[in-house]
Formats: sequence, structure tokens, C-alpha cells
Amino acid sequence: MSSPNEPVIRVVRLSKVYRSGFRMKRVQALADVSLEIERGEVFGFLGPNGAGKTTLIKILMGLSEPTSGTALVFGRPPRDATAKARLGFLPESPYFYDHLTAREFLDLAARLSAVPKSEATGRVTGLLRLLRMERAADAQMRGFSRGMLQRMGIAQALVADPELVILDEPMGGLDPIGRKEFRDIIIDLRERGKTVFFSTHILSDVEMICDRVGIVIEGRMVEVGRLSEILTGDIDSIEVTVKGVTGKTQKALERVSQRSIKSGDELLLTIRNEEDVDRVLAICREMGGIRVVGIAPHRRTLEDYFMAHVANAGGRRD
Amino acid sequence: MIDRVYGVALNTFRESIRDKVLVTLIIFAVLVMGSARVIQPLAVGEEAKVIKDLGLSAITLFCVLISILVGGRIVYKEVEKRTIYIMLAKPVRRWEFILGKYLGLMAVLVVSLVVMTAAYYVILLIMGIGAQLYLLLAVLTTFFQLAILTAVAVLFSTFSTPITGAVFTFAVYFVGHLTRDLKLLAAMSPSPVVKVASYLLYYLLPNLSNFNIRAEVVYGAPLDPYAILLSGLYALVYTATLLLISATVFNRKEF
Repeated sequence: MSSPNEPVIRVVRLSKVYRSGFRMKRVQALADVSLEIERGEVFGFLGPNGAGKTTLIKILMGLSEPTSGTALVFGRPPRDATAKARLGFLPESPYFYDHLTAREFLDLAARLSAVPKSEATGRVTGLLRLLRMERAADAQMRGFSRGMLQRMGIAQALVADPELVILDEPMGGLDPIGRKEFRDIIIDLRERGKTVFFSTHILSDVEMICDRVGIVIEGRMVEVGRLSEILTGDIDSIEVTVKGVTGKTQKALERVSQRSIKSGDELLLTIRNEEDVDRVLAICREMGGIRVVGIAPHRRTLEDYFMAHVANAGGRRD
Repeated sequence: MIDRVYGVALNTFRESIRDKVLVTLIIFAVLVMGSARVIQPLAVGEEAKVIKDLGLSAITLFCVLISILVGGRIVYKEVEKRTIYIMLAKPVRRWEFILGKYLGLMAVLVVSLVVMTAAYYVILLIMGIGAQLYLLLAVLTTFFQLAILTAVAVLFSTFSTPITGAVFTFAVYFVGHLTRDLKLLAAMSPSPVVKVASYLLYYLLPNLSNFNIRAEVVYGAPLDPYAILLSGLYALVYTATLLLISATVFNRKEF
């Protein structure tokens, strides 16, 4: 058993090198990745396609072995059955058995996860209801749409009421309603003290539900931290809107601004920091006849952050 | 452990039994047995024996086909469709998964054998030919043979594509029926290379001709019950060894 303070997931200096193609070309899928996920966290694992997200998840699931470094789940090697008994996993674009019905498959998942027989039926019925799959419960899964398969994937991951849920691109194939429902499921899991680790490239989902995020680009973990630290740590810029500006004042104001846009008698100034805002206000007071109609700090969104990192990585590569 | 192996086996059984390939093969087997009526006039005086022999041959042939065609893609399909990710994410050990897959497929073969044998007896009764119970002995040894062959198919399925696997499994089946000739070849060949290769194959490949007692049961030749028991034990040991190798190969596999 792991101690209560043991991180749920611990990854230390993990690297993975593939040999691929006819000429056995070396592909570095992960390079020196370290990470710890604490109990009760909702962790978003971000990165563009091909960044190494699925590789790390496969190693955490014992489906693939690292080239170097260690990965521990509940303090155990990933292949350990006792670790797996405590987690649920949803792979990317999950696919199931064509000829099994939804209920049969969830029964199987419950059986393999050692859910007591007395509880299994109730658990399966409850999940089918939660994921609005009741009407398809006794249909063979070969006719299921992508969204339905995704729901089945989530259901089978939750069937054993696991302490840790690992989800690879869980929002894939879901429509906006499905995504909202899925977010509610994650929020519910967090409220019940579960740990959630999920990969995605859909940033809006992450901003709404994650406690911490890790950003992986080209196999390297470029940032790990609380979303609030990453995003509010730096106010990107401040937008000040002023009215009644004359030609001379405009020049003075533009000198302290990064950008300005004139629209009618309004001037929108983009200002770097708070000191420059004071300067703008001082100019306005000195000149007179100018009214400040709006000051709006422009915080960085995760998307800005993400794009900046991807651009940097691209720049290094070139 | 038993619960998990049973889970995988039940799943494999359900998935295969609902597959069109299986149903098609069983229907064909029954059609072939029924077609004995057409060839009946050709064999004057020996009709009953020809029909009995043909029926037993059809049962063996079609069960071998099921074993090779369904068994040859049984693990591969899980990897290709990535259902393996979900199965191995559960607290299932890899050897439990292989054993479950194998047992599920064997359950499918037992059901196929039962259905085909029932049809066989019905056909014999309809044609007014004595449907003796001892014919079942040939079905039993066919079952032993299928146990080995399915383990061969599962082994190939852990590392090769279904087509390659099917070709190799069929080759094992084919050569497995000629192992006595291999021994003869080894004894008689002047070339040391051929000698070594023949002996190697002779000892490595399953001796499947032991399981063919069709002629004996059809023509009423005496049968040694100990030989049948021994062939059953042989099948058990050979199968267990193959499954162990399969589990070892599968255990090293990365997805």
C-alpha cells in the first residue's frame, strides 16, 4: 500500500525513444519528463498533436516501457495489478467489441475490475443512466457513433469507482452538450476527492476544470503549474480607452503606448504595465478635456500562453 | 484470477459466436455432410462407411478452419482495434488475458463441435445408417487436436498479422500430420543438413497424426483406449507449453 502522502503519479526523468520506419529512424517521444500528481488534483496535460501526451499515458498504463527514468502509480510500477485496481483509464478514440452490447461490455469491465457482483448491476445501470446510454444499453456496439463510444469509454473507466482516472483526449468526439456533461462528471469526481489526469488540446475545457496543468511540446515538459500562477502571474497588457483627444495629445499618448487605434473620437491604447497607465492618466489630467472611459487589464489566456510556447519551440527547431 | 480469466473468455466467446465467419463455417460443414447423398451412388457397397468418414472429415476440416481463421486474429484484432488498451488497463495480468482468450476460443470450438456432431448423427439417422456412439471417439481426438492447433494460432496471433498467422498455423497443421514421414526422411537422407532439419521439425512440431483415428472408428478396427488417453495427455502438455510461450511473448510486447 502506498502512504497517504505518496503522490498518486510520480514520473522521474522519463524518456522514450522509438525506432520507426524501415531505416529504424530514432524518434524521441519523451525527453526527461518529471511530474508529480497529488491526491485530489485535476491535472490537465496539454500539448499539440504528436507532442508525447499519449506516450506518457501509455507508460503510466504499463502498455509501453520507458527507455529511461521511472514512472510510479500509487507508488507501484504501472504494470502492477494492485495499482490498476485503483484506477480507471479511457484511451484516445476508444473502440470496443462490435458484437457485445453496451451492458455486456460494462459488466465485463466491472468483472475484470473486481467490482463485487452484488454491486455490479447497480453500478452499470447507474453509469448507463448518467451517460444517457440507457436506450442503447442492449444494442450491440458496432452501430454506435463516435460520441456514444466515447461515453462508453468514460463509463467503463468509472465502473470500479476508481481513486485515479486517466483520460486520453476525453473530449474527442463529444458534441457541446456531451462536453458540458463530461465537465460536470470531472467536477463531481473532484468533489468526491478523486484524482483526474487528462490530456487534451482543447484549451477552454482545461481553463474551466483544471487545478494544475502541464504543457508538453516535442516530448519536453515546458511548464507545470497552477493555472492561476501561469495565467495571472503576468498581466499581458492593459487597454485604456480615452475620449476627446486632439492631435497633439494623441502623439503624447502614443509615445507611452504599445499600440493605438483611433475610432471616431475614441482612442484605444494598449499599454504595457501599470506605471505606463499612470503616465497616460497624468497626460490626460495635464491636457484637460480628455475623459478616460475605460481601463481593462488584458490577462493572458491559456491559448496565448500555449501559442507562445509552441512558437518558441518552432523557432528553436528552425 | 479465475474470475478475470473467465471474464476474458466469456467476452471472447460472445464476440466470436456472434461473428458471421463462424456461423458460415458451421453451415458449410453441415452442407458438406448432407451432400454425402449426392456421392452415395459412387461407392458401391461402401456407402455407409464413406458417409461416416466424410462426415467426420468435414467436422475436423471445418473446426480446423475455425481454429485457424478465428484463432489467427484473436489477439491481433485486440491490438489493431486497440481494445487491448482497455483490457490491460484493468487489473488483468497479461498471461490471464492470453489464457482467457484461448479458453474462450476453445469454448467456441466445443460449441461448433457439438453442433456439427449433432447434425452428423441426425444425417446418419435420416439416411438409415447406424449411428454408433463409438464414432464419438474420433470427435474426441479431433478436440485434442484442436486444442493444440488453437494454441498454435494464438501464439502466432501474438506477434504476426492474421494472414501470416493463418498460413503458418496451416503449415503446422499440414506438416504435423506428416511427422512420421519426417522421421523417415531424417533416417534415410544422406545430407546432414536435411537430417538435422528433419529431426528438429520432428521433435518440435506436434505429432497430429496421432489424433486421426477416423479410419479405425469407421472401419471398426480395434482401438487402444490407453493410446487415446495418452494422446489427450500429449495435447494437454503441448498446449500448456505453447500457451506459456504465448504469454511470454505477449508479456514483452509494447503497444
